[in-house]
Amino acid sequence: MNERQQFGRAAEEAAALHLTRRGWTLLGRNVRIGRGELDLIVRRGSVLAFVEVKARRSASFGSPEDAVDPRKRRQVARLAEIWLGARPWALRGVSDVRFDVVAVDASAEPATVRHLPAAFTLDG
Amino acid sequence: MLAQIASEALTGLQGHPVEVEVDVVAAAPAFSIVGLPDAAVQESRERVRAAIVNSSFEFPSRRITVNLAPADLRKEGPSFDLPIALAFLLATGQARDGGNGRGRLAALGELGLDGSLRPVAGALALAQSLRARGVRGLVLPAANAPEATLVRGLEVYPAATLAEAVAQLGAGGGAAAPPIDLEALLAATPIGDADVADIFGQNQVKRALEVAVAGAHNVLMTGPPGAGKTMLARRVPGIMPPLSPDEAIEITRIHSVAGLLPAGAPLVVRRPFRAPHHTISSPGLVGGGGTPRPGEVSLAHLGVLFLDEFPEYRLSALEGLRQPLEDGEITISRRLISVTFPARLMLIAAMNPCPCGYRGDAERECVCPGHRLRQYSSRLSGPLLDRIDLRLEVPRVPPRDRREAGSAESSATVRTRVIAARARQLTRLAGTGAYANAHMTARHLRRLCRLDPGATSLLDHAYERLHLSARACDRVIKVAQTIADLAGAETIDAGHLGESLSYRTSGRHGI
Repeated sequence: MNERQQFGRAAEEAAALHLTRRGWTLLGRNVRIGRGELDLIVRRGSVLAFVEVKARRSASFGSPEDAVDPRKRRQVARLAEIWLGARPWALRGVSDVRFDVVAVDASAEPATVRHLPAAFTLDG
Repeated sequence: MLAQIASEALTGLQGHPVEVEVDVVAAAPAFSIVGLPDAAVQESRERVRAAIVNSSFEFPSRRITVNLAPADLRKEGPSFDLPIALAFLLATGQARDGGNGRGRLAALGELGLDGSLRPVAGALALAQSLRARGVRGLVLPAANAPEATLVRGLEVYPAATLAEAVAQLGAGGGAAAPPIDLEALLAATPIGDADVADIFGQNQVKRALEVAVAGAHNVLMTGPPGAGKTMLARRVPGIMPPLSPDEAIEITRIHSVAGLLPAGAPLVVRRPFRAPHHTISSPGLVGGGGTPRPGEVSLAHLGVLFLDEFPEYRLSALEGLRQPLEDGEITISRRLISVTFPARLMLIAAMNPCPCGYRGDAERECVCPGHRLRQYSSRLSGPLLDRIDLRLEVPRVPPRDRREAGSAESSATVRTRVIAARARQLTRLAGTGAYANAHMTARHLRRLCRLDPGATSLLDHAYERLHLSARACDRVIKVAQTIADLAGAETIDAGHLGESLSYRTSGRHGI
């Protein structure tokens, strides 16, 4: 594992910790579907969220949430559909399904974690 | 959860029912609109989303599918914002329909991001169509309510915001808007904005315009710049008969569809006076566009269309005038739809005697070369000129007349005579479908117009000497009939016919 990948893992770890401390249950982590990957799948009460983790080591390239471009959004949404399609029971008791972004900013010490609920939807 | 709200769409003035269905399910979040929406309807998603959040409602993260049925009708414009928002709030349990089996309420309106409701175009035509298909009531933006209340038998529930619309729906129609007293409104409105008494001199032209209005004849005025052609034309609506409530509704309907109702004035209570510039395109004049919109001829419906610099208009635009002048309506056909707008107007055309404007002037000399002169008048085709019964010469007012003031008749006096003449025509034309002499066919003319022996011999004489065509002859009789109606005479005498002939022989270069 190279240094870049290690940094990504560390950020996901920080994001998962951030969410579980706030009452979210981790349903999946680094779920690979075909060539794509869903970073985190979490649930709290009647809300199911697919979480994209974005980490930055410096602020020079804009904020982490800006890095979720339309192509990435479509990919996350498509993978979520596939994941849900294979597990119809996962929607039992669920009222809201969301795409969230957790932004990990490591440009300063200590790193900050921000959770952006319903960061995007897939409108057609 | 699935919910529905009734709404309505327009093609031209024709309404079509549209059912707005919203389905909200727990699935990967998306907000999509299907059912042949155009760009404005697609953008509705952003307005609806913001309006719901900013009205303190919840916008849950679910899959939202909006269907506008029937799917084969193209949906345009922002008027589906409100029904989409209401159906969404019903589907998510944040609103309820309190109709209790008393019949459904329809909704239409554009949403602002803050949840305010903006007026939409065509509210009157939409309301008429909803009423015709038996819808009980309508929730719509407060600014549209006055025109919608003109529709008898439809309950109108105004709302200034999305929250108010939800309250109206929940109450199954809470506070209805009071209907407008159209007759009182019409009675309180001055008929024209300028009086013919303001114009000094030009008594012959004024008389001719009185004849034209009395018989709904079209007019062509020829005269040098500054002679007062525009001033005279502007005063014509003021000598036309006052608007009836039905006429006001008809005019309002068209202006509303065109989005031309002035803010603060919910309906049109005066006869329109439209004066489009001569650079206007053909679709602008007769109507058109991908989804046909009314043109100037329809905006002038039941009023005056004034075309100054008549020969300068595009040929295609001028030729497009022929159908509306003939039929009183205009049909616009596009690939998928064909739309008919009413266009019963009085045409007042004006032109200079030549391109430079001074041909025949006593003080200035015309500098136009001969070929330019021929070109100028040849732009007006025979078939078009055939629809214009009166051709008048408008000379410059001599200084003597300009000083003489105070003696001129007021518009109200002239109007009284016009109303009486129209009444005589209506009685005579009963059962023909025409309402004024200008619309008589050749057959009506033979059957209904009586010439006394003096008039007959004068007409025969003119026929020989002036080389009148049969059609020109009919026009002379029509105008003479109007003159007789103004005089209250049963038959057309030589005096009436002579005056009528004077309106066709003026204009010097054969037009």
